Amino acid sequence: MKKISIIILVFISASIYAQKELEQHPMAKSLECNYCHSCEIPTKDDPCLYTCPRTHMVTLQHPVEDAPEVIVLDELKEQSDLYAPVVFSHRLHAEMSNMAGGCQLCHHYNPPGVILGCQECHENSRSRTDLNKPDLKGAYHRQCIDCHREWTHEVECASCHLLNEKIVADEVQVKDYSEIKHPKIIEPTKIVYNTEFDDGDIVTFYHDEHVNLFNLDCSSCHSNSSCASCHDTTPLKLEPTLDQLHRVCSECHDTEDDCTNCHIKKERPRFNHELITGFDLNKYHKNIDCKSCHGKDGFKGLNDNCGTCHTDWSPGNFDHKITGLILSESHEGNDCEVCHENNNFKKPTCSMCHDEDVTYPDFMPGEEI
Amino acid sequence: MLKQDRRSFLKTSALIGAGITGLKSKDTKAQTRHVISEDRMGVLVDTTVCIGCRKCEWACKTAHDLPAGDIESYEDRSVYEKMRRPDDKALTVVNEYSNPDPTKLPTNVKVQCMHCDEPACLSACIVGAFSKDESGSVVWDTEKCIGCRYCMIACPFQIPAFEYDKALQPDIKKCDFCIERTTQGQLPACVEICPVEALTYGRRKDLIEVARKKIKNYPDRYIDSILGDTEVGGTSWMYLSGRDFQELDFPKLGEDPAPGVSESIQHGIFAYFVPPISLYALLGGVMWLNKKKEKSKEE
Ligand code: SF4
Ligand code: SF4
Repeated sequence: MKKISIIILVFISASIYAQKELEQHPMAKSLECNYCHSCEIPTKDDPCLYTCPRTHMVTLQHPVEDAPEVIVLDELKEQSDLYAPVVFSHRLHAEMSNMAGGCQLCHHYNPPGVILGCQECHENSRSRTDLNKPDLKGAYHRQCIDCHREWTHEVECASCHLLNEKIVADEVQVKDYSEIKHPKIIEPTKIVYNTEFDDGDIVTFYHDEHVNLFNLDCSSCHSNSSCASCHDTTPLKLEPTLDQLHRVCSECHDTEDDCTNCHIKKERPRFNHELITGFDLNKYHKNIDCKSCHGKDGFKGLNDNCGTCHTDWSPGNFDHKITGLILSESHEGNDCEVCHENNNFKKPTCSMCHDEDVTYPDFMPGEEI
Repeated sequence: MLKQDRRSFLKTSALIGAGITGLKSKDTKAQTRHVISEDRMGVLVDTTVCIGCRKCEWACKTAHDLPAGDIESYEDRSVYEKMRRPDDKALTVVNEYSNPDPTKLPTNVKVQCMHCDEPACLSACIVGAFSKDESGSVVWDTEKCIGCRYCMIACPFQIPAFEYDKALQPDIKKCDFCIERTTQGQLPACVEICPVEALTYGRRKDLIEVARKKIKNYPDRYIDSILGDTEVGGTSWMYLSGRDFQELDFPKLGEDPAPGVSESIQHGIFAYFVPPISLYALLGGVMWLNKKKEKSKEE
């Protein structure tokens, strides 16, 4: 009997464990298993993943340190000997990719876990039966050229590989990229836009303020930037549409109806909670991110009544010491409202118990620290 | 071939005119080969993928023994300042159309013979110099051609070009779908070189499936139309685009095959003038006879 119960126990805990494992699968919630796995019961050793693209993007982010530094793309040699193989500085490219969509910018349709190279899905032959996806040569070039030509407005084959006939034998060598890093991007602080909007031509944008106040990553806003946004050698004289101009802001702001929220007639000072709302983010609130008070989904306006947020404060659980004042024994047990009438926590009143001549701060209800 | 002067041409015409006008066009027209195979090949040109590198132009010239020049010189994009048409020196050309959205890259369009399933050039040719091969290629036979240039007028895509600057034996020139290469199992030269595979080579019916899938999966990228699927009775070369085909200078065409010799010539040059078909048959016949005469003289 004892043996049986041990077996049952082991079985139950194993199944709980297995269930837990399943829950942790990164894609289990959004996808059917057979979307990626070809067998009934995939295991860690044999995940039986379909290697080729599905219709959704499936991919994982990897730290850039794990990325291979250089990849020599020489698989196309068999197809053509016109151009020399490309020595691709993979890590240098990957370093910048988080502003442009991350690893999946190139490793699209990548199953979770493993990182597939282009050749795993794209056949290295132009005469083939499955014409739904480009061959390897097409895939490589599409990935590279689309960004490179945005940058230079040219298609310069030589910027990635030379014609074979132009290569002197000892010129073909893999450059050492280990020391080359993309320089750190200098974050702008204040940008002032002069616009053509009559009711308010000036938009003052404090970049660092947005980053810090709203706890943003670069990729929160710059998820779709191309290298050309910074490196464009001959920027076109573009006239973006109103929509394109407001695209980044309209992610969070109402740019349709609430123009004067950003467009005013003069430069705007930095955001100051007290000036704008009347509520001083004293030392207790300064480092809290906006969402913890104003709600995670959309903005929730608040009044300056502490009880609005601190609903559970009572003499039993509030440590008055953190305000800089240790209450004396006679004051310790009082309800908050006895001294802080009408929720005024800035200045206590003493009149509930004391005569008129006892006032704060001439008489302290405890010891200041 | 057109060595005789205008006067002797008219003289001969007058002499034998009466005899030939009575003949039906069938009799004057040599036998043409027009094979529509289930498995005929085609190319799907994706103009949303083409980067305008013009390597296809270079490869085409190289494959057809035309002076091609240095491959790197094709990176010069200043040629895009004006629109070009394929001619006897370049059987395919790439043009560029600036994007209506100025923040986006321009659209490049490769132009060449469409290798129609019902080729107007073929039906216009009175000596049967054109044929539609089972591989899908519409090819042209210099031996049979009499230089009448009806094909040039008939083609709805204005493709066949004439070697005007050649005094002796000028030829009609147009893309031949690299028939010599494909019969040896090679890809057409432009398809082979295209770095981004903007040109997908395959069985025409498979390509239509591929194109439909692309349109379905990427509705923001493509307009819901495959140029060449049904136009003028279907073509072997077909196009996908992100914008209206007319913006890219493609003619607006119906689904009926382009008119062959009788209609197209009447509509093309002699609109409102109603000469009987026999006159054309006559003119063509005269040229044919002359060519034959010349040939036997040469021999
Ligand atoms: S595009 Fe013109 S030349 Fe080519 S097959 Fe069609 S009708 Fe003939
Ligand atoms: S080779 Fe391909 S990408 Fe280049 S111009 Fe020709 S069709 Fe376009």
